[in-house]
Amino acid sequence: MEAKQTAPAQAAQAQDAWKQQLAAYGQKYGILIALVLICLVLAVVNEHFLSTRNILNVLRQTSINGILAIGMTFVILTRGIDLSVGSVVALAGIVAASLATTSSTAMVAGGPYPALLAIAIGLSVGMACGAVSGVVVARFAVPAFVATLGMLSAARGLTLLYGDGRPVPALTPEFRWIGTGEVFGIPMPVILFAVVFLVAWWVLNSTRFGRHVYAAGGNPHAAEVSGINVKRIRLMVYVISGALAGLAGMMLAARTGSALPQAGIAYELDAIAAVVIGGTSLAGGVGRVTGTVIGALLIGVVNNGLDLMGVESYYQQVIKGVLIVAAVMLDQARHRRE
Amino acid sequence: MKKTLIAMLATSALTAPAVAQDVPQIGAAVYGLNAEFMQIWSAALEEHPAVQEGLVDITIFDGRYDALVQQEQFETMITQEFDAIIFVPIDIEAGATAVEAASEAGIPVVGSNTRVNSDLLHSYVGSDDVRSGYMLARYVLDQIGCEGNVVILEGPIGQSAQISRLEGNMQALAECPDVNILEQQTANWSRAEAQTLMENWLTSHDGEIDGVIGQNDEMALGAIEAIRAAGLSVDDFAVAGIDGITDALVAVQGGDMASILQDARAQAQGALDVALAAVKDDYEPMSDIWTSYTDMPWNAGADAEYSVPWTPVNDENVEALLATRQ
Amino acid sequence: MPPPLLEVKEVTKSFGGVTALSDGRFKLERGTVHALCGGNGAGKSTFLSIVMGIQPRDSGSILRDGAEVTFRTPGQALAAGISIIEQELSPVPAMTVAENIYLGREPLAVFGRVDFRTMNANAQALLDELHFGIDARTVMMDLSVAELQLVEIAKALSYDAEIIIMDEPTSALGEAEADQLFAAIATLKAQGKGIVYVSHRLSEIFEIADSYTVFRDGAYVGSGAISDVTREALIQMIVGRPLTEEFVKENVPGTDQALSVRGLNSLNHVKDVSFDVHRGEILAVFGLMGSGRSEIFERLFGLVEDMGGEIALDGKPIRVSSPAQAIDHGLAFVTEDRKGSGLVLSASVRANICMAQLAELGFGPVMSPQREGKAARDMIDKFRIKTATDLLDVAGLSGGNQQKVVLGKWFLTEPKVLLLDEPTRGVDVGAKREIYRVMSDFAAAGGAVVMVSSETDEVLGMADRAIVMRDGTISGELSRAELSADRLVHLAA
Repeated sequence: MEAKQTAPAQAAQAQDAWKQQLAAYGQKYGILIALVLICLVLAVVNEHFLSTRNILNVLRQTSINGILAIGMTFVILTRGIDLSVGSVVALAGIVAASLATTSSTAMVAGGPYPALLAIAIGLSVGMACGAVSGVVVARFAVPAFVATLGMLSAARGLTLLYGDGRPVPALTPEFRWIGTGEVFGIPMPVILFAVVFLVAWWVLNSTRFGRHVYAAGGNPHAAEVSGINVKRIRLMVYVISGALAGLAGMMLAARTGSALPQAGIAYELDAIAAVVIGGTSLAGGVGRVTGTVIGALLIGVVNNGLDLMGVESYYQQVIKGVLIVAAVMLDQARHRRE
Repeated sequence: MKKTLIAMLATSALTAPAVAQDVPQIGAAVYGLNAEFMQIWSAALEEHPAVQEGLVDITIFDGRYDALVQQEQFETMITQEFDAIIFVPIDIEAGATAVEAASEAGIPVVGSNTRVNSDLLHSYVGSDDVRSGYMLARYVLDQIGCEGNVVILEGPIGQSAQISRLEGNMQALAECPDVNILEQQTANWSRAEAQTLMENWLTSHDGEIDGVIGQNDEMALGAIEAIRAAGLSVDDFAVAGIDGITDALVAVQGGDMASILQDARAQAQGALDVALAAVKDDYEPMSDIWTSYTDMPWNAGADAEYSVPWTPVNDENVEALLATRQ
Repeated sequence: MPPPLLEVKEVTKSFGGVTALSDGRFKLERGTVHALCGGNGAGKSTFLSIVMGIQPRDSGSILRDGAEVTFRTPGQALAAGISIIEQELSPVPAMTVAENIYLGREPLAVFGRVDFRTMNANAQALLDELHFGIDARTVMMDLSVAELQLVEIAKALSYDAEIIIMDEPTSALGEAEADQLFAAIATLKAQGKGIVYVSHRLSEIFEIADSYTVFRDGAYVGSGAISDVTREALIQMIVGRPLTEEFVKENVPGTDQALSVRGLNSLNHVKDVSFDVHRGEILAVFGLMGSGRSEIFERLFGLVEDMGGEIALDGKPIRVSSPAQAIDHGLAFVTEDRKGSGLVLSASVRANICMAQLAELGFGPVMSPQREGKAARDMIDKFRIKTATDLLDVAGLSGGNQQKVVLGKWFLTEPKVLLLDEPTRGVDVGAKREIYRVMSDFAAAGGAVVMVSSETDEVLGMADRAIVMRDGTISGELSRAELSADRLVHLAA
């Protein structure tokens, strides 16, 4: 059959194959290519875009959403969703801040406490919120959307109750260091973002737990039959998401210098957007934390670029909307091909 | 605050509080209690001498930033036959229906802090946002000597405070034709959003920004954090905001910014005095605000509008103001 | 003689330089059942998708009642009287039978209101004409899989279809349900319709088909009347080489007890079930759907709550309350529903093979890609899984190769007892034989196999002993000498 083909036909076939390969690459690395293209355009349009300071700005501005999105990736990989991260940001932030403030009104008696203790407690608060969501989802089989919607409301209410609805100002310099400090010229939020990314990447790609997450999300029945404790995995991913939301909340408080009870409102939506743009399937089992980070950077770069160009913020929302839908359309096209 | 919350919970369950017959019952419907300003306002209301002495019973309703919730709370108050209502509406238009309903039931409504577009309002005790917008911009322009470049951090576009404060900003800017507005963008009253915006502006207008006009303190504080994060000196910028929240007072004390105090205490206590005057015959105001603000005469509590003056926060008064926040 | 209902001549199709179908030929006569045979990858799916207008053909011709036709959409094929009943049905579960049949074509009354009275009456008339015994007002989710298929057939006929293509219609049916389907097919035949019947189950083909066409490697191999071909000859055409035996059975049952079950109960249809299986033995569990045959496995594997009963392995009593424990004890469970509970389709071959053995393939909590890769490649070699690399998604493999991945996953755990639930469902003849070989080798090496099967041929070919389930209890036990299709069906019904 092959031997009978004429030379032009073979050439056409080769070209065909080449095109298909290009299309496949385009779909696999589409988000990265989009990020690079947008960066190139911004670099040409705006002279400041590629300055070291601006690049650090983008990374710093992306770090909080990026960390939330990494936690969200774990949850979405298991077919879940965590709508509560924005409220957990506020709760963990205000609890940690109350331990690390010099303001006499907001302080917990005996404070300010060492920053490390405040951070440990903030992380614990985040994990506790995640654990509650996780138990409700895993043990009581409540849909994740509903369970974390409940937590969204409850954690916000607890934040207002805890701080009497007031902000906690005057944080100690040690605590603020996680938001404003620098190491070798790199802002701390960026370092924390990088560390969280590397650890998350390692956990998902190199540990047994990571394999379990993908299996439990890809097909919970098959995972269960294969001896994987799917309920435990489900619980764990919410704890991870909660812990990272706690970290993000403390970074936010440290960065702005004050823990506000209305902090983090609607942050869950940006986190989900980053995950989705990064190619993680809401159907579970498919996705990479690398994609999530690229998705978060894409959102950050677009916001930053439009700010630099002086474009009204309302356009930014429109563009973000288009990005989210376009990313999922790309993803769907890839699935159809397969 | 805790007491208020408990009171809210109790009334939201529609249980009528046990009240002695002769004590008037006044409800305060505020748009939301999540931000510091309304908390100061609420606290001041409860510290009013009439409340402290048990001459009036106060219930505060948290409108949760929802016009519909506020409307329902009005219906509750009408059903329970409150004697007067102090109203801080979320929306200038949507509040009018609620006022109309109360008016039909014969309950006087005294506006406070934010305006409502209704002729049926008994009176209004608030501060003029156009004025504050002017004072804000004027301060920044004076600092930079009426020349150079400024950026404006605006509130959510379309909110009455944003519109009025911007109007005041523009009046002041018109007096300094040599000043350039480099950027003018909303940060939605949010410190975190303002910080991001300012970081990006500091990049795109490297070394060009002289002044920051923050339409509230939160955004001005966000700009200060951005300036610090960029490794620049806050002293090189003229930054100002409005409201006089605690963090801003601390920043004023540290010489980082200027703020214009919107006197929540005067608005709250003034409104309560006006409401009590509507309920009781021959009522004399009990709050000390009427003596401290000589520009705002009592006039037997019968004026349609009381304009609480704005107070620029400076070295002289900042210590005293901070002391009230403890 | 009238022209055939459908005639396909020399149809070709290639995808990006890869030829999927090089010579598709087919001729369907009125009032006949025509079996389309071929292994996975033979080109049947491509052929059917061209006939149905889902994909365009590169060359060749399709004649409907002697006239040349080209369908660009499935809708055009349907309009020309060609209808397909897919292997995986997609009913709207919360709607009634009538609503499903007339989905998108609801008869309307005034003001655009759906005329339910007419719709129900039409649907009922159609169902009665076919003697299906289904009430048109039943909600779809209350029907059995077989009944769902009957509804699909009724739906096809409601479009005035003359040609009905059935793709693996019995893959989810038990014996009795299949008989109901065959009766329906006989009715259709009598009405002069033409049926294209695609199935891996040769016994069915010999039972209901009038003629056959075989495809292999994307090309037409041969066709003829079923009465003129033997089972062996047909298999040879399908696999392309002489197959001496369909089944492979070299194990000899031992006497050492491997798994012993006493008084097993579960919430889901298992009542006081006791049986033993010995080392080296293949025990078949035969029964209709819902008889409790698969539920025994779910209970043994810790997937459902322990409701009493004793399990002993190698003479020692064990407790199983989770799959992890079952695996630790040396049990392996190849589930009936490969896609539902056997594989993670979105994951790679390697990830699937390693899934039940992750703790042994790393250092503590950290995985070792080297060990995982080696384990996966070992299983790919052992089972001759056709995949380019172990990193490909398992979704891209054929049914037979997917099933071998599942087997690979369980053999990696080095089990003592293999629980197989319908191990060859949806698997082509060639791959079937390899699976039988694996079973036989495993038993011959001293392992014990418990196999649930609803195919009598398979039980007769492979089992050393069979127990038959009915209503959650064992209704009988047959030794290899006593095994016969009649007895199995008799005990099950």
